[in-house]
Amino acid sequence: MEKPQRKPVIMVVDDDSGVRNAMRALLKSVGLESQLFASAQEFLATWQPSQPGCLVLDIRMPGMSGLELQEQLNLRGAVIPVIFMTGHGDVPMAVEAMQQGAFDFLQKPFRDQDLLDRIQKALVKDAERRATLGEHNRIRSHLEALTAREREVLDLMTQGKQNKAIAQDLGVSPRTIEIHRARVMEKMNAQSVAELVRMMLDLKHAR
Amino acid sequence: MQPREIQAQTDAAMEALIVAQDRLMRVARLATMGEMATCVAHELNQPLTAITTYARACERYLAMPQPDLAEVRDALREISAEGLRAGEVIRRLRQMVRSDEPDALGPVDVNAVVEELRTLLAADARAHGAELRICLTAGLPRISANAVQLQHVLINLARNAFEAVRDSHNVHRRVEIATAFHLGDEIEISVTDNGPGVAQEISDRLFDPFASTKGSGTGLGLAVSRTIVKAHGGTIGTRRDMARGATFYLRFPVLEDCLT
Repeated sequence: MEKPQRKPVIMVVDDDSGVRNAMRALLKSVGLESQLFASAQEFLATWQPSQPGCLVLDIRMPGMSGLELQEQLNLRGAVIPVIFMTGHGDVPMAVEAMQQGAFDFLQKPFRDQDLLDRIQKALVKDAERRATLGEHNRIRSHLEALTAREREVLDLMTQGKQNKAIAQDLGVSPRTIEIHRARVMEKMNAQSVAELVRMMLDLKHAR
Repeated sequence: MQPREIQAQTDAAMEALIVAQDRLMRVARLATMGEMATCVAHELNQPLTAITTYARACERYLAMPQPDLAEVRDALREISAEGLRAGEVIRRLRQMVRSDEPDALGPVDVNAVVEELRTLLAADARAHGAELRICLTAGLPRISANAVQLQHVLINLARNAFEAVRDSHNVHRRVEIATAFHLGDEIEISVTDNGPGVAQEISDRLFDPFASTKGSGTGLGLAVSRTIVKAHGGTIGTRRDMARGATFYLRFPVLEDCLT
């Protein structure tokens, strides 16, 4: 809406160059852009959290494994969806990955359509998460524009208190509260108290 | 009993022992192969994944209003390379399970023996999330050995090393196989890992049958390895090379006519 959307990129991390290059060929054939990485470390070194897309990750790799990379990403608060590629005996690892928040997993070798379907779903999910994050950031920046007093008024408003009660709590006249209240609504870009309450709830559940 | 009868009985016992030992080694080799098969299957998944993915990409490129033939050509070339790679993995495994291999000793180039194992061991390393380094000293003289038995010992040592590093929280899990001269008239093959090292309480009994502290396996790996190495006139032992981890080494006398 505000800024042009960056094109999503499918980031493939696999230590096997045959698999990596085949993935690039497949993704290109459906018009998807890809970036290839031979190791988890290589990926982390160039990773930009702001880049929309999804991660397709081999669960077993020498050095840092796929699971360890996922752990690192979680520690850094990454939102990017992760699709794991596993071998036949790796179901317990895949289960662990899912518990740690992986988006999905696929057993090698997989049907191309299965992979592409999951990637599409992951991209939708990534876009949603990024939109939500953008919304949260918008609310936060509005909140930062409030004065300390306005913030107090907002907190009492979202507790469902009327002007009179708020005036009493803060020891000022109802007329003053009315002015603060109008400012809060304006700065928060809210049409109703209900909307204010929703914004504050969204933020509370974000963390 | 006459001395001659005693001699006959001793000979018979020795022969039975050799047969039993032979059978034991074969069983141990097959057990190792069984474990290896799992990781080979895993390794075959890589070229298979590349092949199927390339093939489907080709179909898509050809279905375009203006087929991208350059992409298709590249993909086809890769498909055939991946197919050959898969075949290589299987060929190496077959080499190892040949049971008609005579047990006879012959002149053997240890570097070639290690090199033949590279594909298999790399697969195993990958399955254990470890990096495999192979450092061969060029121009080593040959030893008197049975290549298949020697490979069996090396696979055993390497597998132990991979398992040792697998459970360590080391990000850089590393196993190194090296060949070198030892004191001029022996060849040493060593397998070094950076895992937790050999537990103190087991270090004396390491090569005894069933001394294993591992949850799985036959408990015969090192015992059979020692038997094989002894039959080659060699020695097997351990030492510490890195701050952490363990080194297992094999030493064999150099073939005399190879010493100049």
